[in-house]
Amino acid sequence: RRGRGSEGSMEAAELRVGFVGAGRMAGGLARGLLRAGKVPASSILASAPSDKNLDAWRESGCRTTHCNLEVLQESTLVFLATKPHILPGVLQEIRPAVGPHHIVVSLAAGVTLQTLQRLLPAGTKVLRLMPNLPCVVQAGAMVFARGTGAGDGEATLLKSLLSSCGLCEEVPESYINIHTGLSGSGVAYVYLFAEALAEGAVKMGMPGGLASRIAAQTLLGAAKMMLETGEHPAKLRGDVCTPGGTTIHALHQLEKGALRATVMNAVEAATNRACDVAKD
Amino acid sequence: AGVLAAHKITASSPDTDLPTVSGLRKIGVNFTVSNKDTVKSSDVLFLAVKPPIIPFILDEVGPDIEPRHIVVSCAAGVTINSIEKKLSTFCPTPKVIRCMTNTPVIVREGATVYATGTHADVEDGKLLEQLMASVGFCTEVEEDLIDAVTGLSGSGPAYAFTALDALADGGVKMGLPRRLAVRLGAQALLGAAKMLLESEQHPGQLKDNVCSPGGATIHALHFLESGGFRSLLINAVEASCIRTRELQHLADQEKISPAAIKKTLLDKVKLESPSLSLESTSKVSLFTNKS
Repeated sequence: RRGRGSEGSMEAAELRVGFVGAGRMAGGLARGLLRAGKVPASSILASAPSDKNLDAWRESGCRTTHCNLEVLQESTLVFLATKPHILPGVLQEIRPAVGPHHIVVSLAAGVTLQTLQRLLPAGTKVLRLMPNLPCVVQAGAMVFARGTGAGDGEATLLKSLLSSCGLCEEVPESYINIHTGLSGSGVAYVYLFAEALAEGAVKMGMPGGLASRIAAQTLLGAAKMMLETGEHPAKLRGDVCTPGGTTIHALHQLEKGALRATVMNAVEAATNRACDVAKD
Repeated sequence: AGVLAAHKITASSPDTDLPTVSGLRKIGVNFTVSNKDTVKSSDVLFLAVKPPIIPFILDEVGPDIEPRHIVVSCAAGVTINSIEKKLSTFCPTPKVIRCMTNTPVIVREGATVYATGTHADVEDGKLLEQLMASVGFCTEVEEDLIDAVTGLSGSGPAYAFTALDALADGGVKMGLPRRLAVRLGAQALLGAAKMLLESEQHPGQLKDNVCSPGGATIHALHFLESGGFRSLLINAVEASCIRTRELQHLADQEKISPAAIKKTLLDKVKLESPSLSLESTSKVSLFTNKS
């Protein structure tokens, strides 16, 4: 059976979702969709060359295959989640099965809409998605950009589906590399910071496991306050700083270490690297 | 600011050659070389001598202090307690207020704080506040915050002048004539300060408002952050505050000897009593007629 193709009339519950490539990122998205109850497991089909990755999918109730073409034949919304360097080969392979009813969403870092559109039939509805790992726990940050064949209907569908995995915003394609530097890689910066926080606590005498859990909760709580109050982080920071108190003493240490500039450097480096990789 | 007529102000200094002296005379202030005369003709007495001189001044004018006098000390690091102790040998309940201001009072944009002593009433504080509010911002604080205020707004104009000098250099490097660069830099800081004072927004937000994505300003800010700009400013305020406390500590122990005071000053001064080896440097007081 083929899914319906008309723009805007697609019901998420009747959607047949396919994943070409079943690695960590694909698994994260699928898990998010399942946990939010947006798509039943039986409507999800994933393909991968070996069974190594597919076992976990089957355990969740999803269907699996070793045939990429089958994913295209059985699904309407298809996520391309292979490693970037093998994607062009995969696109050649699936091209014959791609039709006007398909919505193709590429997760491949560095593969531009222009490239995708070139390797797929003219007029195919193509979008590019850049998620981040916490999609797995429905706290992801995702941005997507549409290709020339994709319209408001596709954008709305994608946004509504993926909001189940976290924050999902449409952006111009030029922001995608910046998102990588900020949030794709950014998750790692946070892990680093959390580790350092905990280490500081251990130095001061707290057991590591407890310190780690508290560090994580501190980051979670602070982030939640930012998102829920909508207040500027500088104001929130000031609210915590009693005159002459512990916080301002600590912040002075962070400023002495030029933490802000270092973080800016990190985002810049990751963004530039994403741009460089895209050019290759 | 028009709060006082010039003839109601008396100033004294042993050194009549100072440029400040002729400046004061020009605006119609009464001038005398006798500190005692200044005290006698005033109700509100500003002690504007250098901190090490304060104890000597207090010894000199102590006998002339009457219950009506409000003694306002602007000396950095000199505590209310030390002034009250000195004066109490002459007068049982001296009214002392400690004040910390800054140089932009000259252009009526000063930042002033004051703390009232044991015997100064609420109205005495309010009188001072009224006077100082005419030349800028003035508010009452707890005395133990005055050192921090010194670090921030006392020394603050110097940080700003340094920043402005450097900003102008940047402008000149990029092709602007010096005078224009100075003028624009000063106006930029003035405008920013005014925006902050008139806005409800956090300075972080105001900063963001100037930074368009990928634009010139954010590139520049990155340089500032890389150089630890923020921590430098925090360090500066901290250093000034700590030094103020150190000086206060030294003063409390009366470690400053007459030998630390300029010998040329001693030469110009007539000795009033053998216990005093010197008189004051310039001192301005405001004369207010309460009746």
